[in-house]
Amino acid sequence: MNFVHTLEHHLLDHVYSRFAVGALSLPFSKHLLMMWLSAGAAVLILVLAGQMAQRGKRNRFVYFIESLTVFVRDEIVIPNIGEEGRPYLPYFLTIFFFILFMNLIGMVPGSATATGNISVTASLALCTLFVINVAGMRAHGVAGYVKSLVPHGMPVWLLPLMYPIELLGMLTKSFALSIRLFANMIAGHIVIFAFLALIFLFGKLWVAPMSVAAALGINLLELFVAFLQAYIFTLLSAIFVGSAIHSH
Amino acid sequence: MDKLLHPEIGLMIWTVVTFAGLAFILARFAWKPILAALDSREDSIRQNIRSAEESRKAAADLRQEYETRLAGVEAKTRELLAQAETQARSLKDDLVRAAHSENAKLLEETRKKLGEEERRLARDLRAEMAQMSLHATEKMLRRGLDKPFQDRLVQEALGDFEKWTADKK
Repeated sequence: MNFVHTLEHHLLDHVYSRFAVGALSLPFSKHLLMMWLSAGAAVLILVLAGQMAQRGKRNRFVYFIESLTVFVRDEIVIPNIGEEGRPYLPYFLTIFFFILFMNLIGMVPGSATATGNISVTASLALCTLFVINVAGMRAHGVAGYVKSLVPHGMPVWLLPLMYPIELLGMLTKSFALSIRLFANMIAGHIVIFAFLALIFLFGKLWVAPMSVAAALGINLLELFVAFLQAYIFTLLSAIFVGSAIHSH
Repeated sequence: MDKLLHPEIGLMIWTVVTFAGLAFILARFAWKPILAALDSREDSIRQNIRSAEESRKAAADLRQEYETRLAGVEAKTRELLAQAETQARSLKDDLVRAAHSENAKLLEETRKKLGEEERRLARDLRAEMAQMSLHATEKMLRRGLDKPFQDRLVQEALGDFEKWTADKK
C-alpha cells in the first residue's frame, strides 16, 4: 500500500474538468464543488434565518443563528474595531460562516475540505488584505492611510526602510492567515489518516479498535477546530482591520 | 506532496468570486434583516429597562413625598394635641381658681350673716330676758317696789345675764 499516494488522494484537489476563459483555465474540481456546496448551504440556512427574523418569527433555529451573529458582532468585531466596525460586519459574518461551513462540510465522509486547499485560504486572506486597505483608506483618506502605514514621528531618512518593512509585515500577516487555516484543516486529516494507516502497517486485527478510537477522538477535535479556525480567521481579520482604522 | 502548497490561480479566482457573491447575497438577505431584528430587539429591551427605571424612580419620589407629608401630618397632630392640652390645663386652672374665690366669698358672707344673726338674737334675747325677769320679779314680790329699787333689780339681772352670755361665748 502506497501511503503517500493514498494521503495525496485524500488531501489534494481532484480536477474533473477545465475550461478556458481567455488566458485563464478555470478548473471544476472537488474542492470547488465543496465550496459551492458550503456557499449554497450558507445561503439556504442564513437567508432562511434572515427572512424569519425579518418576519419577527422566533424559534430555536433563529435564536441559534442570532447567537452566532451576536458572538461575531460583540466578541470579535466591536471589541477589536469599535463602533466603526459596524459597516464591516457583513464581511466578517460572511467570512466566519463561509469558513465554518467549508470546515464542517469537509468533515462529512466522502467529501473534501475546501479550506484545506492553499488556493482557497490564500484567496480568503487576500480578501481580508483588500478589506484592511479599504478600511484604512476610508478611515484616513488615501494619503492619510499611506502616511499612517509607518509609525508617527519617524525620521525621514528611515522612511525608505520602514515602508518596505511595513508592507512586508502586512503581506506576512495575510500569508500567515492563509497558512494557519490551511495547515490546521489539513493536520487533523493527516493524523486521522496516520491512525487508520496503522491498521494496515501492522496488519493485525487488535490494532483496529485502538486506531478507530484514536481516529474518532481526533475527529471530535476536528469538529472543535472547525469552529475554532473560523473564529481565529475572523478574529485576526478584525484585529488587522481595527489596527488599520486606529493606526497612529 | 509538493502539489499541496502550489496555489492554483483558477481556483483562487473561483474562491474570490464565490466569496464575493456569497457576501453580496448574505449581506442583503441575511445580515441586514438579522442585524436589524437584533438592533430593534436590543432597542426595545433598552427602552424597557429605561421605562422600568423611570417608573421605579417615580414610585420612589411618590413614596418620598408621602413620607414627607405623613411626617408633616404627624408633627401637626402632635402640635394640636399639645395645644389642646395646654388649653385644657389653663381652663382647669381658671375653673379651680374661680371656684376657690367663689367658695371663699360665700364663706365670708355666711360668716358675716351668722355674726349679724347672732348679734340680733343676743339683742332680742336680752330684751326678752329683761322683760321676763321684770315680770317675774313683779309677780314674785306682788307688792309694789319703788321705782329705784326696781331699776336696780333690773340692772342686776341684766348684769348677771351679761356675765352669763360672756361665759357662754
